[in-house]
Amino acid sequence: MVYKDCEIISNKEIAQGIYELCFVSAQIAEAAEPGQFVHVKIGKGLDPLLRRPISICKADAGQGVISLVYQVVGRGTKVLTEYGPGEVLDVMGPLGKGFPVIEGKCAVIGGGIGNAPLLELASRLRSCDAYLGFRSQGYKVEEFNACCSQVQLASDDGTTGAKGFVTALFDSLKQYDAVYTCGPKPMMRRVKEMCKRDGVKCYISVEERMGCGVGACLVCACKTQAADGSLHYSKACKDGPVFDAEEVMLDE
Amino acid sequence: MSNMAVDIAGIRMKNPVMTASGTYGFGREYGEYFDLSLLGGIVVKGLTLKPREGNKPPRIAETPAGILNSVGLQNPGVEYFLENELPFLRKHDVAVIANIAGNTEEEYCAMTEKLGASVDGIELNISCPNVKEGGVAFGTRPESVYRITQRVKACCKVPLIVKLSPNVTDIREIALSAEEGGADALSLINTLLGMAIDIRTRRPILSNIVGGLSGPAVKPVAVRMVWQVAQAVKIPIIGMGGITTWEDAVEFILAGADAVSVGTANFGNPFAPVEIAGGLKAYLEANEIGAIGDIKGKVMI
Repeated sequence: MVYKDCEIISNKEIAQGIYELCFVSAQIAEAAEPGQFVHVKIGKGLDPLLRRPISICKADAGQGVISLVYQVVGRGTKVLTEYGPGEVLDVMGPLGKGFPVIEGKCAVIGGGIGNAPLLELASRLRSCDAYLGFRSQGYKVEEFNACCSQVQLASDDGTTGAKGFVTALFDSLKQYDAVYTCGPKPMMRRVKEMCKRDGVKCYISVEERMGCGVGACLVCACKTQAADGSLHYSKACKDGPVFDAEEVMLDE
Repeated sequence: MSNMAVDIAGIRMKNPVMTASGTYGFGREYGEYFDLSLLGGIVVKGLTLKPREGNKPPRIAETPAGILNSVGLQNPGVEYFLENELPFLRKHDVAVIANIAGNTEEEYCAMTEKLGASVDGIELNISCPNVKEGGVAFGTRPESVYRITQRVKACCKVPLIVKLSPNVTDIREIALSAEEGGADALSLINTLLGMAIDIRTRRPILSNIVGGLSGPAVKPVAVRMVWQVAQAVKIPIIGMGGITTWEDAVEFILAGADAVSVGTANFGNPFAPVEIAGGLKAYLEANEIGAIGDIKGKVMI
């Protein structure tokens, strides 16, 4: 696990309110599994105080470069947009449990900023279809095209692909051996239901407000169900962010 | 060479830097970053008699130079700790303090008996703001602080530390009640009760509505309370509240702390307690101070 200052190569807006930041770290790029995240300290001072967990979009082990795609949602991510090439970013990672890479025919289903962690996964799957939903303008679509058998798009306002929810792009998921999803909770809930109905293995990447990012502080609680039916709070940072759909509840 | 070792009511530590309960799990996570033997002590996540799942998320809100949390004492229970977590901690040369919280005096005593002499000390958590029963209910009235301290002390085989709540009018009378009840040491402060509202949704950010404030934002309050308590009691004090740098630690010791605990700072910098211990040692040596205890309470008024 790495904890160090990493040099930023680029930090650019790639769609409205969505940025891609690339930094150098051979160690993280080498170690990263799809679906893992890095915990980033933004600014040098006490405010913002907490690190920000950001999913790894692409890990290029050959070049030793990590790409993060993030949405500007608050103070921290706003300050992050001000970082430029040559500056350093204080990074911990890679952290968390990523997506298991399965051999068969797979699908990734993403929504909004949740498409980002699916790209590294898609590039490692032997056979993958992508269903990507955006609010308006899409991002990273070319790169999904480059590694997927087919890519289908949807957006809330019809700017990118079909107008409507990404979950309207398919009626059945029966053809897949595994489905991976990341995005808004209602979307993931729908994907989970469809996978259950169609008897398809499903993995879900959750997002919770985080503190330490390593499993010590217990603030990023995510409700899960054990094999015996009992309900527990798991740690999104350490037990997740990727969970088996059968264990994660998505009900709060 | 300056002497960094401290003795808190019989708990011997190689340096005065500990990690605060609730921010450090049972040590495993941060043990991946460095050797836990570099720490003076580890105060483990608050334990209850039975496992607890804690509060609904969201459990954290970031505030200016601070965080609000409402974890609600999620923990695997005292028996699980003894069987599965303590053996790991015991592989390290570090003092292990068990933080315990209960709903009734009987629960506190039952846990104290189960822990026996397996840990180096017990920290009585009567100041958790995030659970409905127990917790802070015991910690805000002098009579109940005296009573529970006395009852737990009667069955406690190791030094007993009472952790004080800052959510009181006069921290001195609470500290004195704990001392009279038989506390061997005090630790302060626990978190300050706070609240944050999302103005877009008009809802509280925490599902528990209110939570405990920690981090640099609370430091001046904590320094003031350590100073006040140090005037009032004779027993050792473990000071905490927003300590992020070695300079912060010196401030607490000058105010009257014998040792310090690092909590929220771990989230930003996993090496914070180790760097603080190193900084303290360098400070002592640069100023030719023989031992850390030599500056305890030496604020000049």
